[in-house]
Amino acid sequence: MDFSEIQQYIPFLIPVLIIQLALMIAALVDLIRREHTRGPKWVWALVIVLANYIGPIIYFVAGRKDE
Amino acid sequence: MNFFIVLRKEITEQWRTKRLLIVAAVLVLFGLASPLLAKVTPDLLKSIPDMPPGLADLIPAPTLADAVGQYIKNMSQFGILLAVLMSMGVVTQEKERGTAAMMLTHPVSRLTFLLTKFAALGFTFAVSLAAAALGCWYYTLLLFEALPWGTFLALNGLMLIVFLVYVAVTLFCSALARTQGASAGLSFAGLVLVAGIGSVPRIGEYFPGQLFNWGGTLALGGEASNWPALWGSLGLIVISLTAAWLVFRHQET
Amino acid sequence: MIQVENLHKHYGAVHALDGLTMTVKPGVVYGFLGPNGAGKTTTLRILTGLARPTSGRASVAGIDLSSDGRALSRHIGYLPEEPAFYPWMTPREFLDYLGRLHGLSSTQRTARVKELLDLVNLAEAGKRRIGGFSRGMRQRLGFAAALVHRPEVLLLDEPVSALDPSGRKEVLDLIEGLREQCTVLMSSHILADVERVCNVVGIIAKGRMVVQSPREMLMERYAQPVFEADGEDPLAMKRWADLLKRQKWVAAVAVAGATVRVTANDVVLARHELMASAAAQELVLRRYEELRPSLEDVFLQLVETEAVK
Repeated sequence: MDFSEIQQYIPFLIPVLIIQLALMIAALVDLIRREHTRGPKWVWALVIVLANYIGPIIYFVAGRKDE
Repeated sequence: MNFFIVLRKEITEQWRTKRLLIVAAVLVLFGLASPLLAKVTPDLLKSIPDMPPGLADLIPAPTLADAVGQYIKNMSQFGILLAVLMSMGVVTQEKERGTAAMMLTHPVSRLTFLLTKFAALGFTFAVSLAAAALGCWYYTLLLFEALPWGTFLALNGLMLIVFLVYVAVTLFCSALARTQGASAGLSFAGLVLVAGIGSVPRIGEYFPGQLFNWGGTLALGGEASNWPALWGSLGLIVISLTAAWLVFRHQET
Repeated sequence: MIQVENLHKHYGAVHALDGLTMTVKPGVVYGFLGPNGAGKTTTLRILTGLARPTSGRASVAGIDLSSDGRALSRHIGYLPEEPAFYPWMTPREFLDYLGRLHGLSSTQRTARVKELLDLVNLAEAGKRRIGGFSRGMRQRLGFAAALVHRPEVLLLDEPVSALDPSGRKEVLDLIEGLREQCTVLMSSHILADVERVCNVVGIIAKGRMVVQSPREMLMERYAQPVFEADGEDPLAMKRWADLLKRQKWVAAVAVAGATVRVTANDVVLARHELMASAAAQELVLRRYEELRPSLEDVFLQLVETEAVK
């Protein structure tokens, strides 16, 4: 098994991870500042943190409720 | 002109409700990931243990075409999905919440109300796609070679038109529906309908799906043109927006 | 200022408006009264151009409603029953946005926004997101939003129904303060509020105007005084009531315990005869009173007669 060839691409993943982190933080900030969500808040917090990328997006699309 | 005052508010809304952020993040992710995936997939396959020795040699080395192919595939799936998701509630939500009634008693015409929503969503997708294209172009340069930027720009322009077709169709569904649930249902029906007709042999020639192939060929330096699909797509945008206006014009909000 | 002629509005088989006719003269505060479902909101929505009548004519500030809706929006201010806003905006931003739409310059907007926020007592909340506002705050912001462009006609749909007593007083005071500046049409089912600020009252039931008149005249014409007396002995009072029923000047007598309630045909005669009659019967009265009926009594009386028809 030879991973060395793949390892050289790891730096390319850094921007992707940064975007992912930014999205997660934006979603968490929104969640904390919001009074009402569809469903309990702590569930959304878990979804946002645990489901990479898709979690924050699902939250933004489905989790927010009009105040 | 009140159009620009309302448009300014709509764009601010795209920003503050994080729509712009979501679309940009998703598209940029796939812009970066597409060339990267194209590059590492063969290596990943080769690293699978117990691969018969001869087979590993048969896996072709990644090419520029793979990178562009990945990009188009991801954008066509996620871009269109986002176009529908971001647009499906916009008119219905305002009708349900009562803000539509509130605004329409001020000097905002119903046409302005609809068109500014289309323009603001167009802005969101244009900005996000520009950022994604830039990322894709740069990663492709690092991992493969420079893509000719002129034709790559053309590819992205054509993709933007495809997204706008879905935004327009979804806006029509949103104008038609009374509740958010109905709007979501109609919007996905619209998505399936447009994509479905697009794959019917003869009629499909005039549908937006064809624009991806055209753009892809162009970006890789090939010769292609598919004007019927472009006119068909632009026509679909105009028809959808006109229909949305006709429905919304006399609707009691 | 507002002319409505034979307005009909049908939702399928339901006739929300059934030939409504009304006139609102410039400068009045018009109280639009009716039970829930009488067609008040429908009327207001037609007058704002949000809904279209099935048939009939209406004009507001000289603009025929079947013509241009955009010209109308510069002349009217509308406060819906539940004013709605963009939750991501602040009141300051929202009022500024409306000011822009109405073509106010930047300096005009700054001044007007400040003035309005002070007027509706939201100056401190001016930079908070509307998303977190209470019902009362929204109502007051909606009031400010309807006033941004100093409209000639103000249409208010149940402006105080959802407010607590102090909020209600605040908004009623605001409406009273506008009396000189514009024509106000306000709907309500709470009669005490209308009685307080309105100088003309229109009562509708089942999509039709039952009566429309200056408030004072309405009270004089429809509000017959009622005499009420509390006695010592219920039995004696009952006997007296039976006696009164036979008098020509008495319309109706009701007894509840030791309380007798008399409605008169001839008020002047009743004022003389009642006390004399009580004295002749040697009744001991603890209380004797001539009651002015509230608008509520008038309203019930009118709506009941309408229902009988």
